[in-house]
Amino acid sequence: MRGAKALAIALALLLLSPALALAGAAKTITLWYPAGDITAGAAHFADKTLFADFEAKNNVKVEAVALDYDTMQQKIFAAAAGKNIADILFIDTSWLPGFLKEEMLEPVADAKAKAWLAAVSPEIKELSDYGKGRMWGYPQYGIDVYGLTWNKEQFKEAGLDPEKPPKTWAEFREYAKKLTKRDAQGNITRVGYAIRHVGHPHGVVHKHFWAIYGAGAALIDNPNTLRGGKAMINTPGGKAALQLVLDMLDVDKSTSLNFPDPRAAFLKGIASMQISETVSIRGRQPKEAPELKWGMALPPVPKAGDKPVTLLGAWLYSVPKQAKNKALAWKAIDWINSQEKDFDLCKKYGASPRYAANWDKEPFKSDPYDQGLKQLYPSGKKLPINLGLNGIMDAMGGAIQKVWHHEASIDAALAEADRLANKAIADAAK
Amino acid sequence: MASHRNRSVRQILARLHARRVLHAYLFIAPVIVLFGIFRVAPAIQTLLYSFYKVELLRGRFTFIGLENFTALLTDEIFRKATVNTLTFVVTIVPISAFLGLILAVLFNAKFHLKEFFKAVYFAPMVTSTVAAAVVWWWMYNPQFGIFNVLLKLVGLPEQPWLMSSRMALPSIIIFSIWKTLGYNMIIYLAGLQAIPQQFYEAATIDGAGAVKRFWRISVPLLAPTTTFLLIYNGILAFQVFDQVFVLTGGGPANSTNVVVLDLYRQAFERYNFGYASAEAMVLFVFILGVTVVQYVYSKRFEVTY
Repeated sequence: MRGAKALAIALALLLLSPALALAGAAKTITLWYPAGDITAGAAHFADKTLFADFEAKNNVKVEAVALDYDTMQQKIFAAAAGKNIADILFIDTSWLPGFLKEEMLEPVADAKAKAWLAAVSPEIKELSDYGKGRMWGYPQYGIDVYGLTWNKEQFKEAGLDPEKPPKTWAEFREYAKKLTKRDAQGNITRVGYAIRHVGHPHGVVHKHFWAIYGAGAALIDNPNTLRGGKAMINTPGGKAALQLVLDMLDVDKSTSLNFPDPRAAFLKGIASMQISETVSIRGRQPKEAPELKWGMALPPVPKAGDKPVTLLGAWLYSVPKQAKNKALAWKAIDWINSQEKDFDLCKKYGASPRYAANWDKEPFKSDPYDQGLKQLYPSGKKLPINLGLNGIMDAMGGAIQKVWHHEASIDAALAEADRLANKAIADAAK
Repeated sequence: MASHRNRSVRQILARLHARRVLHAYLFIAPVIVLFGIFRVAPAIQTLLYSFYKVELLRGRFTFIGLENFTALLTDEIFRKATVNTLTFVVTIVPISAFLGLILAVLFNAKFHLKEFFKAVYFAPMVTSTVAAAVVWWWMYNPQFGIFNVLLKLVGLPEQPWLMSSRMALPSIIIFSIWKTLGYNMIIYLAGLQAIPQQFYEAATIDGAGAVKRFWRISVPLLAPTTTFLLIYNGILAFQVFDQVFVLTGGGPANSTNVVVLDLYRQAFERYNFGYASAEAMVLFVFILGVTVVQYVYSKRFEVTY
């Protein structure tokens, strides 16, 4: 009888042991981020020590999972529909309107949003605030600001001052002509300026945003409205922006359709100037072109005295409504976006900080790249938050491609883009 | 009443058993069930969704009748995608069938290393479309790609290939022909080898040359094979997606956008599942229509030998 009792207790303990073991084990929360060098900051998630302190203090494991960038947006949506999604999403701000349309994200608590907006620098505030202090996530350090980058050696070789980038469109065209190189048959072997004209239409618009907005055009009349509005693509400014590159292609022959990846072309030395995310050049140059000496400035403006405009973008830490561990997810996000971690991680990875107070500390205070960014930030503008943004970007990207590929006149392409963009705005507002 | 029903069921089962039908049904049941779950049910769901505004995340389904279909009529991008898809179909299907036939005729003769070359031509068929498309993307690269290197070697101007709105679709068609050619060749080869030799012998005795034998004997007697290839390749061509997604993503400026890519975008980038379902139904009707027409028309070319 006693033997039977002991056996029963032993069996019960055996059955309970997995549950007991699980009770003591760390809880796991998941974070999805884009694989590859899509954004400089995404690579940091591969660092196993990134959340180490947080994990130790909270008995939790943060599992970072890399997803393919091209299909990441679709995977997130499918996972949300299937209610099997990560607890933390690291997302591109240009996806945000689509996710908001589906009411997929948790807002940042009002008190936390207020404290964040009061503590960060103006450009981070611009990127974080989605109207009346409402936030849908925290932008990561090392935000994307688009800037003109140029090859100083090639400037010297072409007889240009390597410390003076072109300021106006006229100068820009002149410089690009001087920098272009050809072989004996007349084929272009190096472009003065490399343009992005293929791939996802959003990418095409991102890299021509500076000219569109610089010339006074816009994607939509009110960029801070979620629903409704009117496309502002088919305007004199929009036409001038397309004409600028068309002239460089056809008249000056200082750019070419055969150099489709501006950043790669710049790093390979076959493009002397390009306009894209400076953080990307900063991250890739030491590995891909260690000898390259480059400069960074605001994109040129139509004429002297005009106000330069450039694109400001970021990747956000956000929490989906369908997350299973929301409280822990917010805790992890709050931790990594604290002022202290902002300083530590930016110092560790050579990124630019977000808190205004951190900008006054070393090494950021005397880092020429970080200080250079401070010159670009005030001209930064984020993408509109309209729910029809996907359609607007597709329409504008299509128009740019049609004009530069000589498929349509500027007037026809912009008229079509305007029609498609307005339809997308109206559809999204339904 | 219940016992009467049980008796009837038992009688039906006994009859089926006697005819050995029950066993057959049991054997195919797993396939039928899986086919029902993974093919028929989603197809019916797609049909239903096409009449609704579907908001998956909110679990909201609003019946809107034919609104998705009427919107398709005025959708310029869908129209462009449809034209591109039809261009793709009417180009790739006959060209790859014709080239497959030519290759099959060549491989029907005896020559050195025949099996090796046959394997070389068939290899693209067994290669992953995505992997092959990535390789071709580099081959089409205007700066570093092999095609422009070859053009330069023979003194021809370099081409922008996938970078140009005009050349992107033809570039995808060239890739797709390369991909399907081997399969067509093998099917035609099987068809050619099934034609009795006495027809050729009789024609040769009557003085028919090689070209005449090809047109008067091979081509007509291969009609069932041709019909099969046209229907099979036609269905696949209407569903083209992988190579477009990898090579161009539908661009530049929608010049290579096709119906399946467009419905994928509507569903997973714009979250318009109802609209995407309507596009899928239109594609289904297209495929069904073309298949029925081809099948009915091909009856006129049926041969027995």
